[in-house]
Amino acid sequence: MKPSMRSVFLILAVLLSLSCERDDICIDEITPKLIIRFYDFENPELFKDVANLKVNIEGADGDYINETITTLTDSIALPINVVGNQTRFTLTLQENEILEQKENADILEITYTQEDVFVSRPCGYKAIFNEVVPVLEKDEDNWIDDIVPLKDPLDINNESSAHVKIYH
Amino acid sequence: MSRSIISLLFLLLCVTSTAQRLGKEKDTTEYKDRYGIRVGLDIVRPIYSFFDENDKGFELVGDYRLTKRFYLAAELGYRDHTRQEDFYNFTTKGQYIKAGVDYNAYKNWLGMENMIITGLRYGFSTFNTTLNESTINSDPFLPERTETDPVDYDNLNASWAELVLGLKVEVLQNVFLGFSFRGNVKISSSEPENFRNLYVPGFERVYVNDYGFSFNYTISYLIPFYRK
Repeated sequence: MKPSMRSVFLILAVLLSLSCERDDICIDEITPKLIIRFYDFENPELFKDVANLKVNIEGADGDYINETITTLTDSIALPINVVGNQTRFTLTLQENEILEQKENADILEITYTQEDVFVSRPCGYKAIFNEVVPVLEKDEDNWIDDIVPLKDPLDINNESSAHVKIYH
Repeated sequence: MSRSIISLLFLLLCVTSTAQRLGKEKDTTEYKDRYGIRVGLDIVRPIYSFFDENDKGFELVGDYRLTKRFYLAAELGYRDHTRQEDFYNFTTKGQYIKAGVDYNAYKNWLGMENMIITGLRYGFSTFNTTLNESTINSDPFLPERTETDPVDYDNLNASWAELVLGLKVEVLQNVFLGFSFRGNVKISSSEPENFRNLYVPGFERVYVNDYGFSFNYTISYLIPFYRK
């Protein structure tokens, strides 16, 4: 066999193995979460941390049933339900003696319309949420003073910035 | 992969065996090459079609010898391909034509007409795609939503350039076995709204940056017109 023939086979073999490589791992942004930032009600320009916050999402299973954020944080991201057009979050401040904080559950409900957008081959379709309306359910003792969407009308189509302000 | 290696070895055997057979015949007269049209079909596609519901198709191939080394070449085919991705699956049906030239880079011994092919093609395909089912890629802890109503994207088309590397070996009088590997670059395509052309008949799977690979195994018959 002539050397030229041999090199052709080699090239063919290399090209064949290249064609079998997998390139489909989803790294693009998928269905966005609701990003909430916590602000001080008395001083609306400033962020105010929450501690020992527990979040329940109606309809969720797995870890979100009893997800507790024990550290201090001024922002959280919550997944939005893609079945139906509303999601109910129960945001519970848990008892903390040092911060003199008593257990208090408040309910935030958001309603929206959905739109499915194609992302890429490995990621498939994501949902984006349009005309989002956040509503605080009033009770006798709300720890949340006010909920304000950052934009009006509010569309949630990425996770690059916050969507909703919570004053407390 | 192993399948392609076996086929390559098979072709190798063919090359060496014909070489030995013809090496013994010594003739002193001037040998003239055969010129004509060669027609054939892909031998693997029908087998795939028989065993795999999701991968049906066929391909006809042909070439016409212009000069000692150059051939006009074309492929004509049909594909009906269903692909399951992680979050959705879709079916693409359509036909394609590829036309171009083949250059025989192999210096044959006297009386042999085997080929090591380097070639170029322009490919064009018209097809319909149906998104059969898709699950919205969202948070895994919340209930998932799957859309089961098929969505049709009709009258799509794409064109591409194709680089061909291949072999054609005469195994019997006038009968050739061939293998070719093709690297494709997309030139144009009509993309569906809110979806993408992820598979194009003839081009096969569309990789990122619009590259593609394909190959065929062919059996073809030479109809000689004249000798030169």
